[in-house]
Amino acid sequence: MPRWGMVIDLDRCTACQACTVACIAENNQPVAGPEESRRGRDIFWNQVLAVVEGEYPRVTARFLPRPCMHCDEPPCVAVCPVMATYKRDDGLVVQDNERCIGCRYCMVACPYGVRYFNWRRPQHPTTENLNPDVPVRPLGVVEKCTFCIHRVDAAMARARQEGRPLRDGDVQTACQQTCTGSAIVFGDLDDPSSQVARLARDKRAFRLLEELGTRPRVIYLKEG
Amino acid sequence: MHRVADRQLQPLLAAGPSYYALVGVLVALIGWGLYAYTRQLSEGLGVTGMNTPTYWGFYIVNFVFFVGLSAGGVFVASLVHAFNVQAFKSVARIAELLAISCLILAALFILLDLGKPERFYHLFIYGRLGSPLIWDVIVIAVYLLVGLAYGYFGARADLVRCMQALPRRRWLYRLLALGYTDASEAALRRDRRLLRGLAMVALPLAVTLHSVTAWILGLVKARPGWYSPLIAPLFVVSASVSGLALVIVVVVLSKRLLRLPIGARVVPQLGTILAFLIPVLGYFLFAELLTVTFAKEPAELHVFAEMMAGRYAIVFWVNLILGLLLPLALLVYPKTRTEAGIAVAAALVVLGVLAERWNIVIPSQFHRDLPYPPGSYALTWVEYSVVVGVYALGVLVFALLAKLFPLVELEDGGAEPGAGD
Repeated sequence: MPRWGMVIDLDRCTACQACTVACIAENNQPVAGPEESRRGRDIFWNQVLAVVEGEYPRVTARFLPRPCMHCDEPPCVAVCPVMATYKRDDGLVVQDNERCIGCRYCMVACPYGVRYFNWRRPQHPTTENLNPDVPVRPLGVVEKCTFCIHRVDAAMARARQEGRPLRDGDVQTACQQTCTGSAIVFGDLDDPSSQVARLARDKRAFRLLEELGTRPRVIYLKEG
Repeated sequence: MHRVADRQLQPLLAAGPSYYALVGVLVALIGWGLYAYTRQLSEGLGVTGMNTPTYWGFYIVNFVFFVGLSAGGVFVASLVHAFNVQAFKSVARIAELLAISCLILAALFILLDLGKPERFYHLFIYGRLGSPLIWDVIVIAVYLLVGLAYGYFGARADLVRCMQALPRRRWLYRLLALGYTDASEAALRRDRRLLRGLAMVALPLAVTLHSVTAWILGLVKARPGWYSPLIAPLFVVSASVSGLALVIVVVVLSKRLLRLPIGARVVPQLGTILAFLIPVLGYFLFAELLTVTFAKEPAELHVFAEMMAGRYAIVFWVNLILGLLLPLALLVYPKTRTEAGIAVAAALVVLGVLAERWNIVIPSQFHRDLPYPPGSYALTWVEYSVVVGVYALGVLVFALLAKLFPLVELEDGGAEPGAGD
């Protein structure tokens, strides 16, 4: 069983937000529209956060692509009253939108703010371009980044069918595939030879809000 | 026996035009609330002011508020049945009815808050015992059962008396008595024994209920303002304060409007207990405030700045001045220690605790650990309408119960000391 994880090299991130857009298209995320967006009803499974520091002329901007951390101690799973969100054996924290009752307890509990609620009936710009591999969520449930679970499962099934072990690089998430600076790497953290495991051992590696004890599976490489 | 009982049954029969007017207004408010809720059902929770990151809004504030309000009933009823404080015997039933109705309204607020209310039953079939929300569902359910049993055994003797005194409603009282109409001395003794037993269970159960409700918030790490071991004892205290205050308000109102035979000393005595409890609440507030301002932990400080100087700072200061200090003064100052003065103080305390619930639930969510834009929240007409509709429902149920059911335990001939005005 692989232990899926992700490394995001902030030195390589150009803040182009292609990951955000690719993720929206890949995972059939609804579009809030300008009005609802102003009211804080956007859905971005992978959002690029910006921190602007200093004052002109000494301004620095830092950027932080933020998917779900797929924590090993996920606070969202601990609070969900109906097990609509749970951790799979391979470590993916997934959301069952048939079971979710929309109480939003998981959202309150997630310190990373990776969970989004369907405040309105989901709107998609076109319906013919929806990805058939990803179910569209109904009104009133919570949704979040799945580490492209459909790609993970398809790659596993293909490897099984071909009677071979999964190879490093067999699974690429949509954000990784589209990343213009190759900043995002996805793979098996338990395979010491995998690119993701190698990068995770880098001296620049850190995790977000580590002090909370959530043990995130997304590892960032510090700028500099 | 019949003379006294007849006098006490008077409020059941008389219903003047003002009563019907009240019922009319309440029904209209409930209808409006229902309309607003249908909008929420069809368009989603987007019609409320909730958003990212204010995931929980006024519905959850009210959920927490009403769970707390239910405490007063248990408090007073337990004083009577477990500790045999006869002074409050005449208001024990009002207190019990309040406890049960507040808890039902609290559960209703959870339902109103769900994005998928039609999946409410998932809580029962998929309930995960690790979730504090499920602990609360279990405690509320157990508590409701105990409360209903409590009310039943406390009222059964009177239901049998009503069957005899009001033959036209015989079927109703028989139904409410669940057909168990044995009014022999032995049966009544058994009722009283069961009541005492239930009262012993009800008190620890109440502490559990308010603690577990607090832990829904208090166990969430990374939520400054919630994540604190102080929150469970705080909830027990503010529940007792607001619950007791609500009992006082309702007792004074029903005494005046329905002319119920409630002793003249009951309200001042309840007021004295309230006056002792308010400083305890203030103490909790101070202890928390001192810790936060001294330690200056940035996230905690942010939440408290938001609470005391942010967009809803008015809620904090109104709570402190009008919800704690003024009522305490009214309760302590001899000239305002009249029944009306105590009722006003109690009403202010109830509103103050609602403000306190707001301050606990809302500002905490404005804080974010990662660099997101700051949070905000503004109520919409849908939230106002739904919440007012639920309040109206609570008042309506109580108004109907007052006409169906003697709100004060009927007396067997012997006059209660200090009864009547």
